Amino acid sequence: MFRVARLIAAKDLRVEMRSRVVTNQVLPFAAIVMVMFAFALNSDAVVSRVAPGLVWLATLFSLLILVQRSFAIENADGATDALRAAGVDPSGIFLGKAMALAVQLAVLELVLLVSAVVLYSTELRVGGLVLLLVTFVAATVGLALVGTLYGGLAGGVRGRETLLPLLLLPVVAPVLIGATRATESALGTGGATVADGWPWVGLLAVFVALFSVGGTLAFGPLIEE
Amino acid sequence: MEDLGFILATYIVTFGSVAAFAFAIVRRGRRLAAQLPAKDKPWT
Amino acid sequence: MATPDIETPATAAGTRAGTGTVFTRFIGLATIVGMVALGVFGLLLSPADVQQSDSVRILYIHVGTVWVAYVAFAFTALASAAYLWKRTTSLAWDRFAGASAEIGVLFMALTLLAGSLWGRLSWGKFWVWDARVTSTAFMFVTYVGYLAVRGLGGSHHQRARRSAVVALLAVLEIPLVHFSVKLWRGLHQDSSVADRTNVNLHGLMLFSLFISVIAFTLLYVWLMMHRQRVLAMQDAIDNTGLDYALQQRRDEGDL
Repeated sequence: MFRVARLIAAKDLRVEMRSRVVTNQVLPFAAIVMVMFAFALNSDAVVSRVAPGLVWLATLFSLLILVQRSFAIENADGATDALRAAGVDPSGIFLGKAMALAVQLAVLELVLLVSAVVLYSTELRVGGLVLLLVTFVAATVGLALVGTLYGGLAGGVRGRETLLPLLLLPVVAPVLIGATRATESALGTGGATVADGWPWVGLLAVFVALFSVGGTLAFGPLIEE
Repeated sequence: MEDLGFILATYIVTFGSVAAFAFAIVRRGRRLAAQLPAKDKPWT
Repeated sequence: MATPDIETPATAAGTRAGTGTVFTRFIGLATIVGMVALGVFGLLLSPADVQQSDSVRILYIHVGTVWVAYVAFAFTALASAAYLWKRTTSLAWDRFAGASAEIGVLFMALTLLAGSLWGRLSWGKFWVWDARVTSTAFMFVTYVGYLAVRGLGGSHHQRARRSAVVALLAVLEIPLVHFSVKLWRGLHQDSSVADRTNVNLHGLMLFSLFISVIAFTLLYVWLMMHRQRVLAMQDAIDNTGLDYALQQRRDEGDL
């Protein structure tokens, strides 16, 4: 299962390395969203107060595009059907695609964090770096898992472009809440302390645990038609 | 009675939409039943 | 050309076409009686509450609809699990889940409407960011998504498997959302709906609530029976309806 996952992940990342769709299209999109937030909120004080939430909101919007891209490359030549016909373990496909998605998300979040520092004068503090890192890892893994799960469901079906956000956004609401609060604690936004952040990391960990098991079990029945 | 508008709105919208839903189901049922032989309608 | 074992629409209509039976008509009648009683007791006979005055009358609707919505979603989850238990499981479970979710979505919409109107009167706000209120709204959106998944097309078993998995994932999602909103609110402010919904229930008010739950439960049963039969007929038409329609056209040609 894990060998399959590694192969699938490597394949997805190789496709991205050669096509550069995420790099050239999704990353600029995420950056422009961050600029738009500043226009909408129209106040330096407000923007720097809500910066952690904006980073994660922009991540969620970009996640929708990343997931669609991730399954567009599967459906283009009936690649998923070929994998199924070859008897590849669906759990392996699930974990592999989630791993590739997590890598892309991590790059995206790094760009968003840097843009928050640049655009919203967000300041990182040394004491919160561990919390920040753990939060980003946990949230990224969680988002990649549910993104892959619902992407697999909507993939290969007409109307999936409009259906995916409706299915995915309610599910990732806990990640938005948990990751935003934990990031606020790590950055000290609004006077939050680092210690406040760890319970939120716990929430993210529960999310990851539930959906890694649930997703691995559910992905097979979802893609097999 | 205080706040009569809100209270009546609740009752009317609830009963109204339930009735509309029920009516739509029954009508669709009638129309489909006319197209099917009895063996597909085990309740008859 | 007509084969004798296929009934013609004329004879089918002769047996009172539709999804009704003696039993559903009995339930339907009882539902109507219950709803009329709910209107009479809820609007006229029951007294106004000491704290909430007349706005408490909205709760007689609200409690019944939210009860049905929760019951409906619970049955959707159970029926979905039943469908997935063994591959051979019948599509009847899937149709049960689908019918229940559809009714649940309708009643959840009514619940949110009645709830926000009541909230405006009681709290001065249509919406409060309480964990229960918020996760109820998420439940609504999730099952709207579930119904959209059911409408994606494909074979009946594809539809059934896909939607059953989504229904079970919703069971995973809802408590998580509830828990995280609770945590979110808990660290923000201490306001809780429970403190402010302290209704002193007695006598006729309790009886009105009782009627509400009974009447809406009967309504749920009635709607479920009809909706499932409609879904069963739709599936049957997808399978065999084409042959039957062809047969009818040929019969017309014979005339």
